[in-house]
Amino acid sequence: VETLRSLGDGFAAALTVSHLAWALAGVTLGTLVGVLPGIGPAMTVAILLPITFNLDPTSAFIMFGGIYYGAMYGGSTTSILINTPGETGSIMTAIDGHMMARQGRASAALATAAIGSFVAGTIATVALTFLAPLLAAVSLTLGPAEYFALAVVAFSTVSALLGDSLARGALSLCFGLTLGLVGIDPLTGAARFSFGIPQLLDGIDVMVLVIGLFAVGETAFQAWVHGRDREDRVEFSGHAGMSRDDWRRSWAAWLRGTAIGFPLGVVPCGGSALPTFVSYAVEQRLSRRPHEFGHGAIEGVAGPEAANNAAAAGVLVPLLTLGLPSSATAAVLLTAFQQYGLQPGPLLFSARPDLVWTMIASLYIGNLMLLVLNLPLAPLWATVMLVPRSLLFGGILVVATVSAYTLNRSMLDVALLYGVGALGGAMRVWHVPLVPAVLGLVLGPMAEQQFRRALAISGGDVTVFVTRPVCAVLLGAAALVLVAPTLLRSRTRVAAQVS
Amino acid sequence: VNATHVPSSRWRTFALARWCTSLVGLVGAIVSAAAPSAMAEPYPLLRLIAPAAPGGGWDQTARAMQQALQVSRLVETSSVENVPGAAGTIGLARFVGAERGNDDVMMVSGLIMLAAVVTNRSEVTLADVTPIARLTGEYEVIVVPARSPYRTLADLLAAFRRSPEAVSWGGGSAGGTDQILAGLVAEAAGVNPRRVNYIAYSGGGESMSAILGGQVTAGINGLAEFAPHIEAGTVRALGVSSATRVAGLNVPTLREQGVNIELENWRSLVAPPGLDAVARARLEATVEQMVRSDAWRDTLARFRWNDRYLAGAPFAAFVGAEQARVRAILSRLGTAEPASPSSVGAYPRLVLAALLLTVVTVGVGIWRGERVLAERPGAGWVGVATSGLGMLAAWALLERAGFLLAAGVLFWLTARAFDPRHPLRDAALSVGVSLGTYLLFARVLQLPLPAAPLLGVR
Repeated sequence: VETLRSLGDGFAAALTVSHLAWALAGVTLGTLVGVLPGIGPAMTVAILLPITFNLDPTSAFIMFGGIYYGAMYGGSTTSILINTPGETGSIMTAIDGHMMARQGRASAALATAAIGSFVAGTIATVALTFLAPLLAAVSLTLGPAEYFALAVVAFSTVSALLGDSLARGALSLCFGLTLGLVGIDPLTGAARFSFGIPQLLDGIDVMVLVIGLFAVGETAFQAWVHGRDREDRVEFSGHAGMSRDDWRRSWAAWLRGTAIGFPLGVVPCGGSALPTFVSYAVEQRLSRRPHEFGHGAIEGVAGPEAANNAAAAGVLVPLLTLGLPSSATAAVLLTAFQQYGLQPGPLLFSARPDLVWTMIASLYIGNLMLLVLNLPLAPLWATVMLVPRSLLFGGILVVATVSAYTLNRSMLDVALLYGVGALGGAMRVWHVPLVPAVLGLVLGPMAEQQFRRALAISGGDVTVFVTRPVCAVLLGAAALVLVAPTLLRSRTRVAAQVS
Repeated sequence: VNATHVPSSRWRTFALARWCTSLVGLVGAIVSAAAPSAMAEPYPLLRLIAPAAPGGGWDQTARAMQQALQVSRLVETSSVENVPGAAGTIGLARFVGAERGNDDVMMVSGLIMLAAVVTNRSEVTLADVTPIARLTGEYEVIVVPARSPYRTLADLLAAFRRSPEAVSWGGGSAGGTDQILAGLVAEAAGVNPRRVNYIAYSGGGESMSAILGGQVTAGINGLAEFAPHIEAGTVRALGVSSATRVAGLNVPTLREQGVNIELENWRSLVAPPGLDAVARARLEATVEQMVRSDAWRDTLARFRWNDRYLAGAPFAAFVGAEQARVRAILSRLGTAEPASPSSVGAYPRLVLAALLLTVVTVGVGIWRGERVLAERPGAGWVGVATSGLGMLAAWALLERAGFLLAAGVLFWLTARAFDPRHPLRDAALSVGVSLGTYLLFARVLQLPLPAAPLLGVR
């Protein structure tokens, strides 16, 4: 009741004409900049920060909320239309989203992404409103052993993504894991596999790998397969938006994506990519049509898009309740708070409840505005697919190049982008799946670091992984995920034989 | 005749004198305009480089400066560029290489960069840039979780001496300020710094949650980040690395407790190499005015940064002294040693072995003709070669000839790879695409892209 009254005050403060205008400006700018690949949410918020310098705190906070959610929103658009994810949270969206677009269902993909983001954003903001302190306390009990176990769970769920040939899936995964070895070992500060090149000290950026494999690799593959022989135009399917069947297949995926994304956003591990991997894998496992995944299954867009927006709200839990920035974007938001004399930390809610509740209220408003803004835009964006293939791929390569360059202002990243692109094209030719490489690069270093950190804290005692209850449960779950499908299958086979 | 001449000659002398005065005045005006003074013209655009990703301490410093400079109208506009990588050494190398002689740009730097230069064996050091001023300082604090059995620093150090490895110290990235303090404390306690069980986390958020959650025995972090938690009682502060107690904070110093250490994480500004005295003085004057502005005072209070403004020769001397101190402690900690192949660890070897195995398995399968692409292979070798050529050209041209040309060539050749029928239309479109992309990224969003260096347009 107390919470509801505070939230009501927050809405009262946010719902004025001028504040709504700032919210609208925030979501519009956030979406526009967030759409550009290579400029992730952290960079978007940082770039737009100076605009708020001359505003009063309330307006500025409302605008931050809009920019933050808007930036998270924008990433899916380029994933779907040009196979180039705008940020790490939209990597999985590219797989089925772009296939849908190629089949003329771009506006359905964009719509399920927009509505899924709205549903997830709203549910997660409600969870943030009522459960924040509790969740923050729970997240603190997780240590390196649990994070390692979480990485193992992620590995076992996504093993389904390895594709139909185990050897080829494993090859792709090992390629990603190997790339993950490059750079400074964060635990000792020693450089590994950097070959004396300073630009490699921080490792290989996952965005370079993703844009290289997906966007550049796709261009190379298409050039090789079809070359100059024919022009196949995208035929739009009858529906401008989502069909009844699309709705039926999407809603459960949105809810599952939210349930996966929010808690994984609260715990400071894995970034925004991890929840989308898990959501995609869960959707594929639960689907009655798993073979459609990778060829334009709408659940493969709905789930991960809900998961990344829920995770974005989850990130705000430790930030607002404990002052802990668990992602780069949260760290930039923290700076923004401090510009307004707000000391983030355990006392934030009691020290400046007016600002915090106004911001939470503006998250609800911003979320709704994003839906209103993006749904009508979906069919408009979809017309990008009508651009002739020659011009589309030309544009994709230019955008991919700018994104890789602006990540770190490094020509090495551009060289890596093209190199990975050539490799990606070859992988497509030889039926080697692309996704496991991305999983390897994201999950490998996480698992290694947390494993070694847990052992360093325990003094080399490996039993920490079974004596800590949460960790043991997670590892058990991982084993179950791996074994259960085989067990189920043999049981149904037995049942079939009996009948 | 003489009588008539006198006034005329006097008049001429007078006229000459007046002309000279006005010339001196003009020259004076020019000189005073060029020389640094309180009247100096504000920079139309002063660029600030944060050698880190958005969100960290250097980025915060740059963005806080951007605000202070703009609000107090010391510059017309100011931009922040992030050049992340390897604790600032990538940014430093790029700054020295690409900004030499540019008089409208400064980079944020500090103690952590000194340490990173040592740890990463960077070829470019802080001796290669023009020092401008030290700006801020932040003390370090040693804390334990609220539930910890250790009440004082003496308790913690007693346990540490008994069994050094059993005490885990959580803090920021390896080789940074937090680990330096851990090493200094170990030495003061009579323990070999190499036996410190230091658990490095990336970023303040991660290490703070490990400390709040009691995952590590003790934590070391910047005081500003921890002050709200100390005030709220969620952690217990055992000692702060300042010379005297920090006002408004009831925490004893390390010195008071017999650990004779003082350490401050300072941040500073540097300018590119190759600046003349006038350009350097103008930057120094602008920074000095900013430091004195009300906006900067507010910023210091908000971020809980100590004012550590120090410019000129004393600042250069300070950097030299800190460099020697950091180098010494890092070599005793052992972080500055090159990684030997044997120290790489089991995990990388496992991964490389698995990669080799899978490559061989799949390679043999393909060699035996197993499931190679079913569609007509090699239909578009010309297409692949053309777009490949485009990428090669873009890579070669981007930083040398500029983005506009590189993107134009890339677009044109890729379009031709798919459809060679419209060379002129594609050429026109390539101009539009490269120009539009450039305007959007470089002009609207202020992200650095080299436009056309050959034409002198940055």
